[in-house]
Amino acid sequence: MKYLIAEDEKDLQKSIATYLSQDANICETASDYHEASEKLELYDYEIVILDINLITGSGLDLLKKLKQQHKKAGVIIISANNSLEDKLQGLDLGADDYITKPFHLAELNSRIKAVLRRGQFGGDDSIYFHEIKLDTLARSAYVNDMPIALTRKEYDLLLFFITNQGRVLSKAIIAEHLWGDDSDLLDNFDFIYVHINNLRKKLTNEGAKYIQTAYGSGYKFIAD
Amino acid sequence: MITSIIIMILSGIALYLYTRSLLENEIEEELYSNKDRVERLLEKNPDLVGIPPIMMAEKTEIPQDNELIDTLIYDPLQDEIELFKQLSGTKNINGQQYKITVRAMVIESEDILFAIVFTFMVIIFLGFIFLFYLNKSRNEKLWRPFFINLNKLKEFSVKADKPLNFEESEILEFHELNREMESLTAKIQTDYRNLRQFTEDVSHEMQTPLAIMQAKIETLINDQKINESQYEQLSSLQGDIQRLKQLNKRLILLAKIDNNQFTAKETISINEIIQQVIENFRELIQTRIIFVENSKISVVMDKTLAVILFNNLLANAVKHNVDNHAVEVIIEGNNCSIINDGNVALKQPESIFERFYKESKKADSTGLGLSIVKKICDYYRFGPSYSFRTSTETDTAIKTQRELTSQGQHIFSVDFNK
Repeated sequence: MKYLIAEDEKDLQKSIATYLSQDANICETASDYHEASEKLELYDYEIVILDINLITGSGLDLLKKLKQQHKKAGVIIISANNSLEDKLQGLDLGADDYITKPFHLAELNSRIKAVLRRGQFGGDDSIYFHEIKLDTLARSAYVNDMPIALTRKEYDLLLFFITNQGRVLSKAIIAEHLWGDDSDLLDNFDFIYVHINNLRKKLTNEGAKYIQTAYGSGYKFIAD
Repeated sequence: MITSIIIMILSGIALYLYTRSLLENEIEEELYSNKDRVERLLEKNPDLVGIPPIMMAEKTEIPQDNELIDTLIYDPLQDEIELFKQLSGTKNINGQQYKITVRAMVIESEDILFAIVFTFMVIIFLGFIFLFYLNKSRNEKLWRPFFINLNKLKEFSVKADKPLNFEESEILEFHELNREMESLTAKIQTDYRNLRQFTEDVSHEMQTPLAIMQAKIETLINDQKINESQYEQLSSLQGDIQRLKQLNKRLILLAKIDNNQFTAKETISINEIIQQVIENFRELIQTRIIFVENSKISVVMDKTLAVILFNNLLANAVKHNVDNHAVEVIIEGNNCSIINDGNVALKQPESIFERFYKESKKADSTGLGLSIVKKICDYYRFGPSYSFRTSTETDTAIKTQRELTSQGQHIFSVDFNK
């Protein structure tokens, strides 16, 4: 997959690129409006990560241009502004998703994967991880083709693990993904334990081993 | 008032004394001239007797000086005893001594006093009424701009976008007051706007650095071989970033409510909103949430804010609950109460809705949840309240049912009846 990261903060740009490259994706970067505009005209990308406030121009203008050129890139807007109008404006212009700073890289990654699955960008409705299969349309899970009954949150959790496999996920990241904007309502993330334990039980012996504890309090989904 | 009464009394006394002495002088003069007249008449007619009791002449042997006395004489005409002033003296006319007595009826002092006091009263009463109405109409006109401006001041809100315009007055002092008040209120409004802008700007500008920090930590955790204690440090750093982020988010939300950015007005069912919020909680946490619907509440408000309102109230109840007891949500009439068990009442219940006020020592709460509740309630004029109910004997039935072991219950209520 080829990604373009249009973000004027070099540090953030680099971190995003590093994180996303782990899945053997090619990440190109653009640090201002002109560079991004140039790259978007010359090359095709599967995913464009677009900062609204680029120093030399608006990311929304780039989005308009992109749509005029009928490029089939999935666009995820990142913005420091969490206002509903901005969000709606971005989505109206054809963005596929919108994420507010500060965000977790794992969350960004999972949003990208969702966009890829939804679109015609070479994604697949089903996700496989060894003997586990997730049908993202029906939101159902299978182990060795046997359906397992997961609650909505358990399904989300499993999907999040598989999308971010091999990475360390802290409880805070998981909590925020599961509960979105409301994750701050509860001050401690102990409730995550319960969900992960339930998921482990349901994945049976074979599946449970993939959910590993990392550094004592984090989790990592990995095949041995 | 007292001064004018004293002046009135003094001038009344003075007037009384003056009038009396004037009358006395006049009477004396009259007596002397009457006596003269009688004397002249006696010269022509030695047998004159006079007109008793006013003028009398009688022959006498003993000469006597003029003598002025007050005397009481019965007046048969009026059938009462009247006070007379009497001048008597002897005069030698044509070799014969005559005793001449002239008298004049004295107007009694009481009558004078009464007349004076009465006149005074009437004059002053009329004057008072006249002045009262004159003053009143005059004052009304004079103070009208003042009271209009006072009302404007009472309705003044720092949040208003328009500057306060005062009613002009011709009176210099009022004019000056208006000018000062205008510049003062304008300054307050500007300051408030700047402060609000500052909060918003800071909140927004903080997002990007926070994003960078968060991303770097995540990269570090995933890229490098680190040990467990390093991970602990990094993830606690992540937690701190998270807290800043929440703080930011809530401050922005408060600012947005202040800026009237929630304009969506639709009739929503509070029951449905609560149901939805509770579902959301149930998916994530183990705490039992009991929902009792004794009535239906519909209000016109922004749906996002309604969800935030109950999210915060319910989260607060779950957070400060005792030993994972059930949390109760009860809708009764226009009132919605969220009840959780607790052992002690809040020490300062009046501060509970204030920003950054924390009664529990939980370090990781932002201290903004309930102030958001308050802000939303204020925005829609709902009445939020807090009370603590100590468990009593009558609760025993409920206690056994709910396995209650706490000392009482914290009750947060919202009255939707505006």
